[in-house]
Amino acid sequence: MEYRSQNRRMFWRMVWRLLGARRGRLLMILLALGAGAAVTSALLNLQVDAKRRLTSEFRTFGANMVVEPKSDHSSGALAGTLLESAYESVPVAPASAGGKSALLVLVGQVRSTAGVTQAVIVGLRTHGSAGSDDPTVSDGGAGLPASPQRETTCSIGSKAAAALRVAKGDELSLEQGTRQLRCEITSVDPPGGEYDSDVLVPLAAAQELSGLSGRISSVRVSYPGTPSQVNAFIATLVQRLPDANVRGLRQFTEAEGKIYDRVSGVLTATVAIVLILTGLCVMAVMTNVAMERRNDVGLMKAIGGASRRVLRLFLAEAAVVGFIGGILGAGAGLVISIWLGKAVFGVAARPRLIVYPVSVLLTIIVAIAGAYPLRRLASIRPASVFRGEA
Amino acid sequence: MFLRLVADSFRRRPRRQLLTGAALALGMAVATAALSVSLDVDDKLGREFRSLGANLVITPQADSLPLEIGGVDYRSANAGAHLPESDLPKLKTIFWHNNVVGFSPMLDVPVQAWSPAFQRFSNPDAVEATTLTGTWFDQPVALPDGSTFETGIEKTNPWWHVDGAWFADSAAECVVGKNFAKRNSVKLGDTVNVSAGDHGHWNALRITGVLDSGGPEDDGIVAPLAIAQALSGKAGQYRRAYVSALTKPEDDFARRDPRSMNSDELERWSCSPYVSSIAYSIRQAIPGSDVRVIRRVAEGEGRVLTRVRMLLWLVTLAALLTAALAVGASSAASVMERRTEIGLMKALGAGSGAVGFLLAAEQLLLAVVAGSVGYGLGMFLARVVGERIFGAAPQPSLLVVVLILTLAAAVTIMGSAIPLHRASRYEPAPILRGE
Repeated sequence: MEYRSQNRRMFWRMVWRLLGARRGRLLMILLALGAGAAVTSALLNLQVDAKRRLTSEFRTFGANMVVEPKSDHSSGALAGTLLESAYESVPVAPASAGGKSALLVLVGQVRSTAGVTQAVIVGLRTHGSAGSDDPTVSDGGAGLPASPQRETTCSIGSKAAAALRVAKGDELSLEQGTRQLRCEITSVDPPGGEYDSDVLVPLAAAQELSGLSGRISSVRVSYPGTPSQVNAFIATLVQRLPDANVRGLRQFTEAEGKIYDRVSGVLTATVAIVLILTGLCVMAVMTNVAMERRNDVGLMKAIGGASRRVLRLFLAEAAVVGFIGGILGAGAGLVISIWLGKAVFGVAARPRLIVYPVSVLLTIIVAIAGAYPLRRLASIRPASVFRGEA
Repeated sequence: MFLRLVADSFRRRPRRQLLTGAALALGMAVATAALSVSLDVDDKLGREFRSLGANLVITPQADSLPLEIGGVDYRSANAGAHLPESDLPKLKTIFWHNNVVGFSPMLDVPVQAWSPAFQRFSNPDAVEATTLTGTWFDQPVALPDGSTFETGIEKTNPWWHVDGAWFADSAAECVVGKNFAKRNSVKLGDTVNVSAGDHGHWNALRITGVLDSGGPEDDGIVAPLAIAQALSGKAGQYRRAYVSALTKPEDDFARRDPRSMNSDELERWSCSPYVSSIAYSIRQAIPGSDVRVIRRVAEGEGRVLTRVRMLLWLVTLAALLTAALAVGASSAASVMERRTEIGLMKALGAGSGAVGFLLAAEQLLLAVVAGSVGYGLGMFLARVVGERIFGAAPQPSLLVVVLILTLAAAVTIMGSAIPLHRASRYEPAPILRGE
């Protein structure tokens, strides 16, 4: 028993000595292994994170699904509208990522001091970020009715502003039938938007103007996610809103799906190539280092070391080096991936704990695999080593 | 003698040099693959983004405000201005004509429609009011330089799917929206009669397909532009045209007003394929037009593209860095183990400079050979990746070759610099004694 524990102590002492024998060489191996581990952990972390971020990046395209009344072509004042409760029952996507907006669209007379024209008036109520394109209309709190003076704020598309020759701060008078509403222009949207030729008012004001209180024309929903997540969300909406027609905006859902596939494909492929070749590079370095151990092996065998024990010694050394290099490299990788995430998406990549044990393990495997050619050292004959034969 | 020494070193220890070379080749292969993919990805993704469809829309400058709700324009048919169809080929004569992937003019006409196949045919309400959109499906456009360019709705609205076939641009055919088809239970091969106001005159159109657009067109009829022009009496005219163009993501410079730039800036601005500068040159080419960027498409595209490009460049940088480190470590190791040799050379009277030069030459030779092998391997990998993901291999570029060979040389020299520097201070005697 005592013999065995002594034996083990001796074993580790020799491993320790082997490591410390040439510090320059140790540093070199650690550098190669550490670099490999750093890249492995940084890329793995970033890859998981980037795909998720990319889907939320798609929200710049704005809404990707629409809830509409079922098109039945029936006539009547309420035709083509939904109850506002449909808007309430759309669940809000993960905070800060998605959004929804309720719209009530009507054609009315718009009068400014400089002119009068027919224009589309859009009542808008939004929640969350529905997309970079959706203008903001301050509605003074959700659903607040227009003030008693029948005054409200509005924003106007650039094309409509040009037609009416108005600018920010001017007053408009909106009319439909006998109902009338005054509004002050708080902003003019830059050209190219979806509401280029429209006047935007808070939803409550549009409802009052059209006499359709509590009704909306459609709900637009922006939901970030992979194509399958988006489809699942559409399915939930269909269930929740049996009276309405829910559809994905194909222009965006389809393109988003395609682009997501491509980008994640490129990313996965690049990361895989980098990882495989990094592993091979590290292995080549390790092998190179292992080859110069001929003298050590010759000596050990000369004083009676069995081939298997000598081999075990070197494998233990490789595992220790791999472990240290892996830990150091994975730590560096953590910092790198945080920095990369910040540089690309403006938000630090969230470290995924699973990545670190995985990359340390991979490094140890690579280190041991790199020591594999040592097997050939088993066939070394001590005498020829000492005679200095190559 | 010098060359003999170098050649001898390779001949004597082929395995050792092979291993260092392998590390170098693999490292350079990573670098090549990553570089080629990222250099190419902009172009490939730009094309991929065209599946979002048009990013520019052309409307007449003198137009009145559209009163469009749910895809139905409430203006009377004669209100507003139109643009002549004959100006459209000019789109392919602008400076950025190669970036214009496709365009399609559109003309909406409110029509009455009925069909013998309508189930409600027996009832007096048989005529349905709907919108007929005239456009091109696959129109050969004769360009001023004599060639033809085929374009149409499939290029600008790639998300429109037709069950059946698209109409021929010169035939009395149409596709109907899927809601329209369902409501009236018409199917492929049926005939639908349309008329714009004048009930005495009906145009019979054969249905060649059912359109699923996911938009308001699902409730209407889409027909060749010529038919819409005949129905509305606007021969040779269109109301709006969609243009799909390959663009460069906009930065702050791109968003500036071209009128506020000096001539140098204006030249730089108009020589970059920003979506706004393409819009600007189209406006110059087509008189009386107002060209607008479809901000939702253009901005989203720009943002995602910028992010992806940055991500890939960073991954590439990481790949280059590891490759450099691994290769550097490997060549450092190969120099370090040659202490005895260096000692012997110095004992025989070689100066530090001569020894360093010899070893550096050896490493450089290795770098060039292994770098080329690595380049070949990397290009093969990039090809595999490119074909798998985009269906096309990246173009080999001279820049990558030069960059890779330079990198290989720089990395090996840098890797061996520190041990060489140390070696130059070796005293031959202790080394030869084996200390």
